[in-house]
Amino acid sequence: MTLHRVKWVSLALAFGMTPWCAAPVNAALGGDTASVASDADALQGVIHSTPLQQYDIHDITSGNGMRLREFQNRSGVVFAVVWSGPAMPDLQKLLGASYQTYTTAVAAANHPGLKRPLRIATSDLVVESEGHMRAYTGRAYLPALIPAGTSPADLR
Amino acid sequence: MRITHLFVVLAPCLLCACIGGSNGTATNTVPPTPTVNTLAVVVDAGPAGVSAFNRPYVTVKVCVPGSTTCANIDHVLLDTGSWGLRLVRSVLTASGVTLTPSTDAQGKTIQECAAFSGGQTWGPVAPADVTLAGEVAAKLPVQVLDDTNSSAPPPSTSVCVSSGSVHNAVPELGANGILGVGVFAQDCGTLCVNATPAQEIYYGCTATAAGVCTAENAALAVQVTNPVSAFATDNNGVIIDLPGLKNANGDATVQGQILFGLATQTDNALPATGLTVLGADASGDFTAALSGGTKALPALIDSGSDDYAFADSDPNMATCLTNPPPPQQPSSAQWSGYYCPIVSPQSVSVVNTGVGSNNATNTVQFAIHNPNTFIATATAFINLGGGQGSTRFIWGMPFFYGRKVYIGIDKTMSGTLKGPFYAY
Repeated sequence: MTLHRVKWVSLALAFGMTPWCAAPVNAALGGDTASVASDADALQGVIHSTPLQQYDIHDITSGNGMRLREFQNRSGVVFAVVWSGPAMPDLQKLLGASYQTYTTAVAAANHPGLKRPLRIATSDLVVESEGHMRAYTGRAYLPALIPAGTSPADLR
Repeated sequence: MRITHLFVVLAPCLLCACIGGSNGTATNTVPPTPTVNTLAVVVDAGPAGVSAFNRPYVTVKVCVPGSTTCANIDHVLLDTGSWGLRLVRSVLTASGVTLTPSTDAQGKTIQECAAFSGGQTWGPVAPADVTLAGEVAAKLPVQVLDDTNSSAPPPSTSVCVSSGSVHNAVPELGANGILGVGVFAQDCGTLCVNATPAQEIYYGCTATAAGVCTAENAALAVQVTNPVSAFATDNNGVIIDLPGLKNANGDATVQGQILFGLATQTDNALPATGLTVLGADASGDFTAALSGGTKALPALIDSGSDDYAFADSDPNMATCLTNPPPPQQPSSAQWSGYYCPIVSPQSVSVVNTGVGSNNATNTVQFAIHNPNTFIATATAFINLGGGQGSTRFIWGMPFFYGRKVYIGIDKTMSGTLKGPFYAY
């Protein structure tokens, strides 16, 4: 696992990326490979990566049942994050540079209430969050960065 | 068993005793007076200033522990989809009850960020003596929802701030509190006992200022707890018993009841036949699949949700919009996010399957109506759906009308049935 991470960070450096300038540390959405590794660190999780034609899927699982699935496009940008587990993830870390868009949209939203799913949909950002105590699920994605031929329904 | 036999043998003498005076031997055979285990449930428009629908409310008696300083808090949301009692601080204060927060081993005040589907509650954990009907949960850890911002706020970078919005006040909650009587005893469970680092759920706070709370683990006995689990008797589950509705477009109000205990008294027996028992997993879920759909979704029966909430790919199952493309009709903004079937009603068929040993399979059929046809002054709607985009299935309040729903608590037995389970 450690090797895996080292390799990614090296790759990022090799491709001349500057991960800590593009987005805050730990930012997954809109971030790069290093941000995926950072999310895994935060969860004390293991990364399992699956390369597909249009994008790579990075699955991060932790010992206490938290799961993150991050979708990284061919430009190296994480364009979608899916979560599930017994506790809510920290969306400030997961949404990265999009977090401000999210909080603004939440503040403006006509609140559906504590017990109804939260859904934020702007042209730049979609966030869906739902579940109950001990079981939370949700996803966030950047519609503009979804690869051609990929549907939001694929981002699960 | 032996006592029962004795009772049968002596029953005629008991009758004699009633008519003819004292009978010393008979008094030992009289069964103890059963604890009053039924509490009224009402569906109405909610507390003042709220326009609620499909919300079942109960009145909860809460006392400062060991005292006679008590208040009856009305319009507390009865919620089978959460665990533990949460009460709005300003409502408690107005009723003359001030609860003293629990403290951890270091003397820090224990506070909690409890996450629900669309937001969080925040505030201190405090012990209270809680009475529901004739059942008492003494020194029960409850959450005081800090709508007055009297306690320390959550850390600015914590999950409680980042996940959405905090719902602590009556208008946001649509209730004076939430009574979580679902399938678990504690709201977090073992996840919050030994995590490293601690989950951002329970916190220790050194003062009431900002920046003084840090996430910490909390023993099960400290966690906000389902009052039913803490009763001396009738502590293995509940039955929620609501009548059917008279009008497909909504009833003005509904009166029903919740019964505490399963198979512990004559009034809460489990039916010998016809009961569908759905075992739940460690998250409190069974599975549900739309007929014709291939995917089994995590599901629960949730009186705190106001609709049948699920994703439906049928093109007729449109989401209500104020300005939709034809042929869909415009909807009132009130129903945004719910389903407005283009041809209404739309019938739906769903297969429920239990998890573990209680692995029954049962098909439920229901209908979703366009809510714009509902009666404006009604508060109970049996045909309300929503949830496009969801990856879960929630049997919300419409499911409860005209059914008895049984909730069996984790790590308890109800007759021969092992919790956690849902049954109907």
